[in-house]
Amino acid sequence: MTIPKLKIISWITQIVAVVIMGQTLFFKFSAHPESVQLFSELGMEPKGRLLIGALELVACILLLIPSSIVYGALLGACLMAGAVIGHITELGWEGPRGELGMLAIVTLICCGITIVIRHRELPLLKAIHSDTPTERGRRKR
Amino acid sequence: MSTKLAINLHKLARFTNTAIPILATIFFLAGRYISFYYHFLTVPLLGLLLVNLYYLFGQKNHSLLRNFGILGQGRYMLESLGPELRQYLFSGDTEERPFNRTERGEVYRKANNVDSAASFGSQNNFDATEIKLRHSLFPISRGDVEPYRMTFGEERGIQNAYTLTVPIIISGMSYGALGKRAVRSLARGIAQTGGLMNTGEGGYPKYHLMENCDLAFQIGTAKFGVRNRDGTLNDQLLAELAAKEQIKMIELKLSQGAKPGKGGMLPKEKITQEISELRGVPMGRDIVSPTHHAECQDYPSTIAFIRRIQEISQLPVGIKLCIGDPRQFFELVGEMKRQDAFPDFITIDGAEGGTGAAPKAFLDRVGMPLFPALKSANDILLAAGVRQRVKIIASGKLISPGSQIIAFCLGANAVATARGFMLSIGCIQALQCGSNTCPVGITTHDPDLERGINIPDKALRVANYIHSLEHDLDELLCSAGARTVSDLTFDHLYIPNESALYPFANHS
Ligand SMILES: Cc1cc2nc3c(=O)[nH]c(=O)nc-3n(C[C@H](O)[C@H](O)[C@H](O)COP(=O)(O)O)c2cc1C
Repeated sequence: MTIPKLKIISWITQIVAVVIMGQTLFFKFSAHPESVQLFSELGMEPKGRLLIGALELVACILLLIPSSIVYGALLGACLMAGAVIGHITELGWEGPRGELGMLAIVTLICCGITIVIRHRELPLLKAIHSDTPTERGRRKR
Repeated sequence: MSTKLAINLHKLARFTNTAIPILATIFFLAGRYISFYYHFLTVPLLGLLLVNLYYLFGQKNHSLLRNFGILGQGRYMLESLGPELRQYLFSGDTEERPFNRTERGEVYRKANNVDSAASFGSQNNFDATEIKLRHSLFPISRGDVEPYRMTFGEERGIQNAYTLTVPIIISGMSYGALGKRAVRSLARGIAQTGGLMNTGEGGYPKYHLMENCDLAFQIGTAKFGVRNRDGTLNDQLLAELAAKEQIKMIELKLSQGAKPGKGGMLPKEKITQEISELRGVPMGRDIVSPTHHAECQDYPSTIAFIRRIQEISQLPVGIKLCIGDPRQFFELVGEMKRQDAFPDFITIDGAEGGTGAAPKAFLDRVGMPLFPALKSANDILLAAGVRQRVKIIASGKLISPGSQIIAFCLGANAVATARGFMLSIGCIQALQCGSNTCPVGITTHDPDLERGINIPDKALRVANYIHSLEHDLDELLCSAGARTVSDLTFDHLYIPNESALYPFANHS
């Protein structure tokens, strides 16, 4: 069971991630020159641009549907990690690029926080989650 | 032991732990120098690497993960799938506990009103443990079986004596242990058959009362619904409840087979606003009832308390208990004679009984199983010459006509079952009664899960189940050559030498 306070934090981070990822979609899908430029430098124009855009769209949707939030966060985190790698290896951090890179890092962190808060919702990990020992306390007489 | 052919998991784990960072590096380089697309592989591997590092060096709770990392996880994954896999695929039809697939299947078929005839032969053991019914050389016809009737309270000659016409009672399950839809399905179903339902110790039986069925109100050790602040009985509340048209009998619960000597438990997950009000308890904490009634300190005070409830309620009043030591039961009966005060019925609950929540040690190790307990109790009452004054209700895994007929032979006047009726309304034995996550919506208060229960449909199943059981019991009576269940005796049973009843059998 997730504690209510953490749940609120998780929703905040989810929404931040969705807003950041969502607004770049427009540039990707409308083939904005800047976006085309970026993906050309990565050697992924145009298929990669559309593929990544599509995946980001999926991540955004998953992040907003209560039963699939963790999966959305996982996908989002992977995409953002890819973006950060792109900035480190090819794109650099000058000017507006740095801004984009920072946004990717923020989104990555947001997705990470969401995963940590909601890790219990990941499937198949029941046994790992169930037995964390807590102190029992001596019996009082 | 030969380990040559088997995969050496030790080595495999070490290999994996080295391979992950190496692969991540390779793909990273490929992404850098060949095509950025390789980073689709780099990223997940980096993720795995992080998780693996956390398992190996970060967390401290799981030795297996600390030693083997992500591969050790495989074990936990398989383990968490285990119960489902076993239930779906691997366990045989007669293997599961508490009820195996054959037993559950019989209830499901009865509830659906499907013919329960089977072919080729019995799935059961014919070894030295299984009790069988001795049929008569001269079976009687269905038409000669008398309709079942039993009147509680007739010996005391009270005005509100209650006549039971269905020998199978819905055993106590509180609103709290069950969700409201489950309670209402059971209540509506039993109302259609004219039978009796026990409310369980859940306080004011709001949902039980909605369906206009005959009810036995249960007073648990915490006395929910009829309690004073200090945990003693509130006479006035009891009198008010007893005055209700639907409430026909009162059952004082001394103990229950699943946890004798321990009070009822309701885990905090299942305590909603409404339940906390109906029971008069706070939310957010497990409710653990006292181990015994404040009024029942010894034999005399217990009998006096029963008499007091009889006087206040003006209804038939019985007790429910799981027998630990038959000698104590003997003493109790002796005290009844001394005070000339008898409960109108005694419910003997076997140690194999079910529960919403109980400690495992109690489930497994405390109390006498039903058959020997029932036989002892019946013998003690007979020997004391008071068998006529007290009716016996038996419960404990009596979900099929075959086991019920044995209980009747051992002296029961009626049988009760809780889990049989849960199965009839769709229980799949997921064993989650205590966690509010019952997947079929029976023992939960989560509206999303309760949604699965359609009350009219489930009520029909309850009625079908009862009618099929009555039908089968009648047929068994014919076979035994008995016109009513009270004609059945211990001599109608074949007791093999490894049965728990063997010591009671006449070996001449
Ligand atoms: C979910 C659940 C709730 C129960 N709640 C009560 C209860 O409130 N009071 C009680 O005396 N017994 C309670 N019982 C025990 C049953 O009434 C019955 O004695 C026991 O399960 C044996 O019958 P069975 O083997 O046919 O299920 C409960 C059992 C179950 C499975």
